[in-house]
Amino acid sequence: MSTPASLSPPIPAPTPLTAFFWESLTNRQLSILRCQNCGNYVHYPRPICNVCLSEDLAPEVVSGKGTLYAHTWATQAFHPYYVDKLPYCLAVVELPEQPGLRITSNIIDTPREQVHGGMALEVVFHEISPGLTLPLFVAEGFAPVTA
Amino acid sequence: MKGADRVAAVGVGYSKTGRRSGLTSWQLAIQAAKAALADAGMTPQDLDGVALLWGVAGPAPAGLDIVEPMDFGYMLGCGPLNWYGEAGPAYIGPAIQAVAAIKSGMAHTVLTLRIIRQRMSSAEQLASEGAMAQPMQVGGDAQFTAPFGSVSPVQSIAALPAQRHMDLFGTTEEQFGAHVVAQRHFATLNEDAIFRDPLTIEDYLNSRYISTPVRLLDCDYPVDSASAVIYTSAERAKDFKQKPVFVDSASYSSVKYMTFENIDDMTQSSPFHAARELWKRTDLTPADVDCAQLYDGFTIIVFQWLEALGLCGVGESGPFVAAGNTALGGSMPVNTDGGACNVGRRHGANFCIESIHQLRGEAGARQVPDAKVAVWANAVGPFSGAMLMTSE
Repeated sequence: MSTPASLSPPIPAPTPLTAFFWESLTNRQLSILRCQNCGNYVHYPRPICNVCLSEDLAPEVVSGKGTLYAHTWATQAFHPYYVDKLPYCLAVVELPEQPGLRITSNIIDTPREQVHGGMALEVVFHEISPGLTLPLFVAEGFAPVTA
Repeated sequence: MKGADRVAAVGVGYSKTGRRSGLTSWQLAIQAAKAALADAGMTPQDLDGVALLWGVAGPAPAGLDIVEPMDFGYMLGCGPLNWYGEAGPAYIGPAIQAVAAIKSGMAHTVLTLRIIRQRMSSAEQLASEGAMAQPMQVGGDAQFTAPFGSVSPVQSIAALPAQRHMDLFGTTEEQFGAHVVAQRHFATLNEDAIFRDPLTIEDYLNSRYISTPVRLLDCDYPVDSASAVIYTSAERAKDFKQKPVFVDSASYSSVKYMTFENIDDMTQSSPFHAARELWKRTDLTPADVDCAQLYDGFTIIVFQWLEALGLCGVGESGPFVAAGNTALGGSMPVNTDGGACNVGRRHGANFCIESIHQLRGEAGARQVPDAKVAVWANAVGPFSGAMLMTSE
């Protein structure tokens, strides 16, 4: 059975280099590619470490903590999935594992007046559609307890 | 760019410009090229290079004609070309290519073009995507951004950095609005502008958000357009009709990946690198600049370029603009043609052409008195470039 475009956000088309990220999420883990020679995290995934030029990289699970680097409340839909989801908070989240290591995400379940640059965040995992789990963020301490 | 072997801009031209123009890409390109040739007093046989960037902004409707530089040179009646190229971002790509080709001796006279066909409107795009039986699949680095709803440039290029600029420096929406109002005032003085009614700060603050803090009036206006500039050597420039305008310095920057969400420093991205290089390559300084034409795809880009070029301090663009410095009669007039928000999206080419009009002294009611040095800048984020032009 197919899912109309309006019922799903754009979905990732992983490559062998990026598949780990999405597979890890289905296990409710956030993983980032890391150089096994010098410890540098490399995101987006690349086949080489841009610090030491090692090609020995492997995914490693990160803490799931973060701080809010930048955000916006989207008030116009540019894709049919978002028409009934406005406004939503698009966010760039800096991970504590390495300065400048950031991922794009959404802030959810957090009152708008509490969302501000630099706020402490933690990851939650949401299965958006069958087979697609996204790492989203809430204010730290607000993550629902799950088994 | 110092020295006797300077490059000069000797001809400028626009196509008809507007929404749903009914013109094909080829027709747009031909109109702009013929206008620039006429402005220069030149025939196609005087050209030996073509550098251009063609493209719709957004998904291409089926059946569009594509403008290729080699093909276009032949179409226009040029002889064999010594140089052809297709480069971005926006118009700075073809401009830098032309200057580099002439400086290197690979070509002597290069026609540059930026041709844009308007994409589908947002409503048309929503309808067509909504009708798709399957979800949209995204590959490449966009697989890490689009599933979270980062699906429009207004979000990643403008809204995220604008909010961060506010967070870091206390920049306000009224300060963004001061730019929009000042720029519209220039447009009221430009017969070629599309939007010529004066705006007030209240008009700005009443316009709707697209993605906070970015409002509709912070966004440039998509149109069908082609823009052309012809460059040649300073020596050959003497043979043509116009008083030449000289390229004093130019720079071209690329930093990090080609996505805007993952820039190392959103408020100090590639324009800061491009500007450092620009000033290294000239004896001029920011204090010598008479007017600045700064890419206004979105307001925050203008603010970043003001800071990057050293026309104001880092983080001080908001107060600088709000104090009236960038308005008509201010210390640093900015976007004196009205900017792409008001003349329509030409992806930076209008800023090169407006610099040339100002340095020729032919900008009419919006002329900056005795303008001798102009800087124009294009693009932002992972890639950008800038050019310093002089009348002498």
